[in-house]
Amino acid sequence: MRVGGLMHNRWTACLAASVAFLVAFAVILAGEPRQQSATVPSASPSPDRATLDKYCVTCHNGRARAGGLALDTTDVSQVAGDPATWEKVVRKLRGRMMPPAGMPRPDEPTYEALATHLETALDSGAAARPNPGRTDTFRRLSRVEYQNAIRDILSLDVDVSSLLPKDDASHGFDNVANGELSPTLLERYLAAAQKVSRAAVGGTLPSPASHVVILPSDLTQEDHLDGLPFGTRGGTIVRHTFPLDGTYEIQMRLSRDRNENVEGLTEPQQVELMLDGERVQLFGVKPNRNQSGAYYADEAVDKDLKARIHVAAGPHEVGVVFPRKTFALEETERQPSLAHFNMDRHPRVQIALYSVSIAGPFEPGTLTETPSRRRLFVCRPASAATEDDCAKRIVSTVARRAFRRAVTDADIEAPMRFYKEARAAGDFDDGVEMALRAVLASTEFLFRIERDPRTVKPQTPYRISDVELASRLSFFLWSSVPDEELLDAAIAGTLSRPATLERQVKRMLASPKAEALVTNFAGQWLYLRNLAAANPDARTLPDFDDNLRQAFKRETELFVESVVQEDRSALDLLRANYTFVNERLARHYGIPNVYGSRFRRVTLGDDSNRGGILGQGSILTVTSYANRTSPVLRGKWILENIVGTPPPPPPPNVPPLKDTDTNGRLLSMRERMAQHRASPACAGCHQLMDPAGLSMENFDAIGRWRVRTESGSSVDASGGLPDGSTFTGMSGLRAALLRKPDMFVGTLTEKLMTYGLGRGLEYYDAPTVRDIVRDARGQDYRFSSLVLGIVSSDPFQMRMSQ
Amino acid sequence: MIVTKTALPRRTFLRGLGTALSLPLLDAMVPTLSPLHAQRVASSIRRLGYVYIPMGMNAAAWTPATEGRITELSPSLLALMPVIDNITVISNLELRNAYTTGNHASSNCTFLSCSRAKRTEGSDYELGTTVDQIAARAIGTDTQMPSLEIGTDLIAQVGNCDNGYACAYQNNLSWSSPTSPLPTEADPRVVFERLFGDGGSPEARRAELKKSGSILDWMTNDLARLRRELGAGDRVRVGQYLDSVREVERRIQRAEQSDAATLPDLDRPASVPAVWEDHVRLMFDLQVLALQADVTRVITFQMARETSTRTYPHIGVPEPHHPVSHHTNDPEKLVKLAKINAHHVSLFAYLIEKLHETPDGDGSLLDHTLYMLGSGMGNPDVHDHTNLPIVVAGGRGSQFKGGRHIRFDKPTPLANLHLTLLDKVGVHLDTFADSTGRVDGLEPLNV
Repeated sequence: MRVGGLMHNRWTACLAASVAFLVAFAVILAGEPRQQSATVPSASPSPDRATLDKYCVTCHNGRARAGGLALDTTDVSQVAGDPATWEKVVRKLRGRMMPPAGMPRPDEPTYEALATHLETALDSGAAARPNPGRTDTFRRLSRVEYQNAIRDILSLDVDVSSLLPKDDASHGFDNVANGELSPTLLERYLAAAQKVSRAAVGGTLPSPASHVVILPSDLTQEDHLDGLPFGTRGGTIVRHTFPLDGTYEIQMRLSRDRNENVEGLTEPQQVELMLDGERVQLFGVKPNRNQSGAYYADEAVDKDLKARIHVAAGPHEVGVVFPRKTFALEETERQPSLAHFNMDRHPRVQIALYSVSIAGPFEPGTLTETPSRRRLFVCRPASAATEDDCAKRIVSTVARRAFRRAVTDADIEAPMRFYKEARAAGDFDDGVEMALRAVLASTEFLFRIERDPRTVKPQTPYRISDVELASRLSFFLWSSVPDEELLDAAIAGTLSRPATLERQVKRMLASPKAEALVTNFAGQWLYLRNLAAANPDARTLPDFDDNLRQAFKRETELFVESVVQEDRSALDLLRANYTFVNERLARHYGIPNVYGSRFRRVTLGDDSNRGGILGQGSILTVTSYANRTSPVLRGKWILENIVGTPPPPPPPNVPPLKDTDTNGRLLSMRERMAQHRASPACAGCHQLMDPAGLSMENFDAIGRWRVRTESGSSVDASGGLPDGSTFTGMSGLRAALLRKPDMFVGTLTEKLMTYGLGRGLEYYDAPTVRDIVRDARGQDYRFSSLVLGIVSSDPFQMRMSQ
Repeated sequence: MIVTKTALPRRTFLRGLGTALSLPLLDAMVPTLSPLHAQRVASSIRRLGYVYIPMGMNAAAWTPATEGRITELSPSLLALMPVIDNITVISNLELRNAYTTGNHASSNCTFLSCSRAKRTEGSDYELGTTVDQIAARAIGTDTQMPSLEIGTDLIAQVGNCDNGYACAYQNNLSWSSPTSPLPTEADPRVVFERLFGDGGSPEARRAELKKSGSILDWMTNDLARLRRELGAGDRVRVGQYLDSVREVERRIQRAEQSDAATLPDLDRPASVPAVWEDHVRLMFDLQVLALQADVTRVITFQMARETSTRTYPHIGVPEPHHPVSHHTNDPEKLVKLAKINAHHVSLFAYLIEKLHETPDGDGSLLDHTLYMLGSGMGNPDVHDHTNLPIVVAGGRGSQFKGGRHIRFDKPTPLANLHLTLLDKVGVHLDTFADSTGRVDGLEPLNV
């Protein structure tokens, strides 16, 4: 490059390469308060100034203001005066995302020196003027939180998806920015309060109602399913809370093909109905023979698959399974595909269960005890005279759990009034049910409300109360309300003592309820939740069925759980040499000698392609399309969830790409993506996203190892990361990520904090994140060190007043 | 009113019921609603519905070849042929305010608001009140539910909302205020229970309503107490909650006054059909039922969500919708996009035909109903919001002229059409969002 043309060429380059950034950051930066530095730049330029002048101000100057940023006039010795801007600079430097590819870039020591100087200045600035941020005053319980809260307050399992609408997510989590209460939502909460209080008390005679469970249509039922009795295949267990002692009708339907024939019925077979693990009845079904001698199955085949049984009130397990025939295994072994659910491609070999319905109660009897009644009725009135006292004890106890704090007489005044009205019109249970309904409809239950103390001046950081801290803790680690022990410590005012806090956190992490960190937090962070909607194309990927979908989910859940429960290094999430598989998943992965439906831990060999979440079928599937891989989706997933530098959204009016070259030859996926990265409007982001995804191309759209792509060409898994590192394949990607452990751990910390605080992180949170990662580094990034770091941090323990 | 067999979605309800529940009971339900219903028909009910399809269309296959009076339809609209005299196709409408850095989010949320979404992922999201909600405030006050918002997405997926925009924008079509998105319900059973209750005798139902009413009374006091405890900023939020409480109180009063039907036990959709098309048709059945029973007069239905990756192998599109929509002018992908469009339109045609077949007052349900089908995106390949695919369906009672194709020479705000449709249901506004006028040519030929 000629020196004379340097400025001009670089200017053009930065314009072209940064269109997308420009669009994105102009918006990001707009409206943010910028503090003016009053000091004049010092005479002798610092090394930082020199670096900025050399590499940054070509685009980021007062005239061009690329990304709305002018670094030529900003005083780099007064970084703490404008943390919002400088935190963005740090992020770009740490991710090596700036200067953009194709522009001259500093060497590693220069990058490190500038980033470290800026961080040091920002951290000391933050220490001098702490800003813990302000969580929303009102946070409505999410669906999951509501379900868990009911479980813990009332020992009652409810199907929350039929009670409440789904939550809208923000910043990747559905417990963020959900203070809204539209009339529709309020209606639903009122109806939920009615249904839950009725179910908890039981005894009210509802009109007979039906509960229908339909099995996933792509569930293969030829083999034993995990959790079902040995010696059986297929079927399901329905966990159902029966409202009353009485007679219930259980009806089973068999899976049919689109000609309405029962699938897989070529010879007599058996269906077994079980209640709580015990056989209730064994049914026989047999095919009919039509006039030409062929088998067919008509409507009548399963019409008698029903039984009226007496069930006591409370939760029970209704099981429907098929006794396994001895030759069934051989028969299924002969099939080329592992999936059997589709009459055209891979038909069922044996009959399968379509649905189970539970209707009743008919001839209702008396009410026996249920777990929810035992939990709710902390006393029983011995006589009419003691009823009110007992009711008051019940209401106070449940309100304390539901409101997550000590309750006052004023708190229970209204619920007690409801109790009395309903008691007068009915019996004691009716009164308690109505009081419970009021408690569950209360804003104190439905919302987590944090109030500024009256004594605190506006715009001042203050420490939240121990009771508020208890709720922050329990919703963070359990997605539920505090238990007695936590609440006791909070009400006694000892919870915020560091030793107590640490003890409570460790106790909570060891509890089974910490499973919420896996299912709720990791379910959203890693997009596991989307697996339920993943429907790979049955033609190109015939081996996929619900069994595999469930196995993917289970593997990742067990894996993340092992890191949490065994308090392993967070880096193990990327590098572990073990995973969890059952036979089905092991065959999918090519791991030998694993038999049966049970999941077990397996150690992976050094030559394994798996190890860590990146090689798991769950992640590889939710980042693919139905019929092919998507390096863009995968790359975006890596940047957002692992590297922590989410690409800006595509600019409006993206120009279309060409499908063919100048000779009319159809371009390959890699070539078309290369074109993506050459187009100025797309390149800014795609050259950051795509290479990471391309390095994962050895895994197909359902996570199988492959050496050829969908189009038949051999896989080229060369790729890279925004920091400029280049590598080949998953092992290269993993190694590159592990070379910068702070980057991944920092991202995980940010995700955990977003979820734990229920708000998006801001520039003023960055020093806290760095602090937590620094402390965790000395403890090999153990999972508990991240959680303890977050829980002990100012943003978690404090709040900025309004 | 005579309830004919066609009035009820026999076959589809069976699918949704899933098992063992006898359908004829449903027939028993509508007559119990009819005396009240017949009374209301006399006063010329106006109803308004919106059906959203994501990610635009292949304009070449969508747009009718000729303008003005049409007797033939373009390939993508062919399924509407049986009701061609009840539909008008409108071309070259646009949404200026949907041009953002979150084009999928804004396609969805600008469709009925015509407003620009505030770029935020925080709880400070802000849009504009949507046109269906403006209609609901005017024509929805006599019914138990002012409006109904439904869709087909059962789980809230993560990671596929546009960066920088709260998922609320991409998930919710209806906003009852600039800060109040209305959740979309996809479970047919839940929708059914919201419309018709969850069983029990009328006395039991009334007793339940009374209890909910007294809980709301108490909530009002409780919120007033809470408001006193909070700072000025947070009081605004409590004020919004109080508005919601008042609105729900109003609905409960309506429900108490209404001659609620005695629903046969066990008789409601039990679960979600496994096949998406069956799910869509069941949601359409519920819409017909809701309008017929006059439980609501305003409905929005999100048939599918923006960035949907649903595949349609049975119509020859095994590829996911979103990548297909980025067709790069590849002829093969354009054909597939047109197939998806035609498929979605055929499902809409099922609704319109059903409305047409359902007797209502002196004519059919369609005679007293207007439905708009459309997307907030035009050409999805470039995420533009110009030349949107829009079809309006209605009947003579709605002062609506069908069998037409109206094409604007210049891109014209969709808000103009919204205003015009509001006019037709008796809601007269001077302007709406970025409207510049009204759409001519939707009047009936012989008034």
